[in-house]
Amino acid sequence: MAKTITIEPFTRVEGDLRIKVEIKDNIITDARASGIMFRGFEKILRGHYPEDALVFTPRICGICSISHSVAASSALAAVSEEFVPSSRGQIAKSIVHATETVMSHLTQFYIYFIPDLLNRRFENLKGYDSMLERFTPMKGTSVRRILEERKRFLEILGIIVGKWPHTLAIHPGGITKSLNASEIFRVRGVLRQFISVVEELLLGMSTEEYLQISSVKDFESLFLAENGNLSDLGLFFSFAREAGLMQMGKGSDRFISAEAYLQPDGTSFISSGYWDGEVSELEVEKITESIKFSFFNFREESISPFEDLSEPNRDKPDAYSWAKAPRYDGKVVEVGALARQVINGDPLLREFFHICGSTVFTRVFARLHEAVKLLNAMDSWIRYLDTSESYYSKNLLKSSAKGVGITEAARGILSHWIVIEEGLIKNYQVITPTAWNCSPRDEKGTPGALEQALLGTPIKDENNPVEIGIIVRSYDPCLVCTVH
Amino acid sequence: MMTKNLLYIQGQSCGGDTISLLSAEEPDFLTSLKMMQINILWHPSLSTTDGDEVERIFNEVIEDRRPLDIFVVEGAIPTAPLGTGDIYKVLGRPMIEIVKALAAVAEYTIAVGTCASTGGIPASGANPTMATGLQFHNKDKEGVLGENYRSRSGMPVINIPGCPPHPDWIIGTLYFIVEGVLKEEDLDYANRPSVFYNSLAHHGCPRNEFYEFKSSAEEFGQLGCLFEFLGCRGTQCESDCNNRLWLGRTGSCTRGGFPCIACTDQSFPQQNSRFFSTEMIGNIPKYLPKDVPKAWYIGITGLSKMATPERLKINSISPYPRKKGADSG
Repeated sequence: MAKTITIEPFTRVEGDLRIKVEIKDNIITDARASGIMFRGFEKILRGHYPEDALVFTPRICGICSISHSVAASSALAAVSEEFVPSSRGQIAKSIVHATETVMSHLTQFYIYFIPDLLNRRFENLKGYDSMLERFTPMKGTSVRRILEERKRFLEILGIIVGKWPHTLAIHPGGITKSLNASEIFRVRGVLRQFISVVEELLLGMSTEEYLQISSVKDFESLFLAENGNLSDLGLFFSFAREAGLMQMGKGSDRFISAEAYLQPDGTSFISSGYWDGEVSELEVEKITESIKFSFFNFREESISPFEDLSEPNRDKPDAYSWAKAPRYDGKVVEVGALARQVINGDPLLREFFHICGSTVFTRVFARLHEAVKLLNAMDSWIRYLDTSESYYSKNLLKSSAKGVGITEAARGILSHWIVIEEGLIKNYQVITPTAWNCSPRDEKGTPGALEQALLGTPIKDENNPVEIGIIVRSYDPCLVCTVH
Repeated sequence: MMTKNLLYIQGQSCGGDTISLLSAEEPDFLTSLKMMQINILWHPSLSTTDGDEVERIFNEVIEDRRPLDIFVVEGAIPTAPLGTGDIYKVLGRPMIEIVKALAAVAEYTIAVGTCASTGGIPASGANPTMATGLQFHNKDKEGVLGENYRSRSGMPVINIPGCPPHPDWIIGTLYFIVEGVLKEEDLDYANRPSVFYNSLAHHGCPRNEFYEFKSSAEEFGQLGCLFEFLGCRGTQCESDCNNRLWLGRTGSCTRGGFPCIACTDQSFPQQNSRFFSTEMIGNIPKYLPKDVPKAWYIGITGLSKMATPERLKINSISPYPRKKGADSG
């Protein structure tokens, strides 16, 4: 007999999520992910001065607020007369953006994701006692340590952008503060302190050593518990294998990513692309949004975000989410750290992906792996900073124009679409990473990526369906972003 | 001291107040809970319970089978359509009803952040969801709990606005409650604990020397005061940001080079005004420093501009203090 399980409120994700699944013969046969809260940012922004997007859009989300600032500043740059941004300012922007992403990745792992693995379901697996000791919420040794070190790491944001979340320092032409020599030194100092914590706690080796690893075989030889690595990553990897996470929650095998983190040499740390077995160029005009199953009025077919006016309608029949359903070339794609690393050709992630596909393990591991890579890159970016120029350069907005600002938030591609007319915002649309990953069905009835990952999943014990929590949180959903 | 039960819910929030709370220090978040013997019944991003278990906790509290010492709300509460709040249902009930039911049994009710305090961003502009704060809607006592609401302790909703609030403001307020020392006379006109809100963001701003002589930055990235041209409301904003400092006591808005936008104010986000440039009526800023009459402002400004040292004139429009060897002022 089919059984329906509804989980609401869904704890340890950002914002309000409802997950409804149907289970038949211990297999998930239907899955619906709903964003249940709505604020109406896109309506609120209409009629505002364009630069007000820098005030309002970071406040869509308290955990990826800088990513919204970066996307908004790029959207404003796209509707400005030609100008040259401050090159130091742009690198400082990359540094604070990366700080937020690293923090988000580590917080998600230690605070949001891992408690599901302490479920009684896994109590007989090897390593369970160590898992409890390190990862019990609020008490585990590693959890306490990361909560302490987390805020110390965030001093980088205090020094460069004054406060967080919701700084106003990030502008199209750089940042509002020109860093002096002492501040540049302090930023590097805070970073080095934090890197040493990550090396000790997460890796059990230096970042340089870690970043040498380029094959799954080498990774296994270093990180499997029986090979003596006592780090959190080693414990997690060994336990994840025992718990079946390498295969659990198979999602979409198509990815997209956008350019992010401008580097001193002019390249981007993350490049853009579309993955469908191989990398091709990302074409922005192929992004559309369906609202067939979303609480918005008026249309059946997918349209460009520039034309979307998002009129809410809570009573629309069949609708079940405030999230829209973005699609790329009409297809469901996944976004986030795994998408970025696969598209960017990271050898270790590519190999894991070829072996497992997009699963709970590869999605969670990609975040940790990317965090280490970002920390390492940040150190080299800081060395480019000096006091040779202002970190800000002024831009002049056109009075009528449209443009899009695209970047990568921790959870994946983030785009801001702006239309200005006579100096005011006529339309502003935001497509967030979690809208891509946790969308409802589209007009063709195709379920979103998370819904697909849940479908077909065996549930061992209907009275303790821990698989659902693990799969959902492996996507690191941010519903406050999604249902702006 | 007895253990106090705390229940934390998020309405229309960005989660930023919780994120800010996690940056608390001396005591940090976990130590502070221990020190104050606070037991978190449920928090949406920190608890391990979800689904039906949360519903059971809510019901036990609402039916008075479990004491609720401190009820914390982050985020605005929508009332659309037509005051029903049906637009935002959790566990099959409009959020507005859950909030009212929990507030009715709470010993103390706290609105954390500007959204819960006075409506904030979701309640601004077109206010598509008819969002409002717990007890206030902007300056008026027209929030969802109504003008006459009192928690069981006899206190109105205690507001801790800020977008986000400094973690000290939240933890400090909890501490005063747990210690039993917070009285109604400790709250200001906006029902904020005055100890955190009775100074100005301007106090302690490192740009104060520039302010005194009206030597102002003309664009961002420069050292001068942000009041005259770049929209700073630090002289009007009631908060202690520049003395307390954020994120390990390392920064503040004006230290980050951008204007204070008065996010602790009841009317935040201010409608129809610029955030990044100072609006003028004639050549006088539309919003003057708190309690300063216009005529005096004009007089003092004129005088101080005449007395501005050369050093400040140059540095105010430079990204760094001028180099050694330049003419002294």
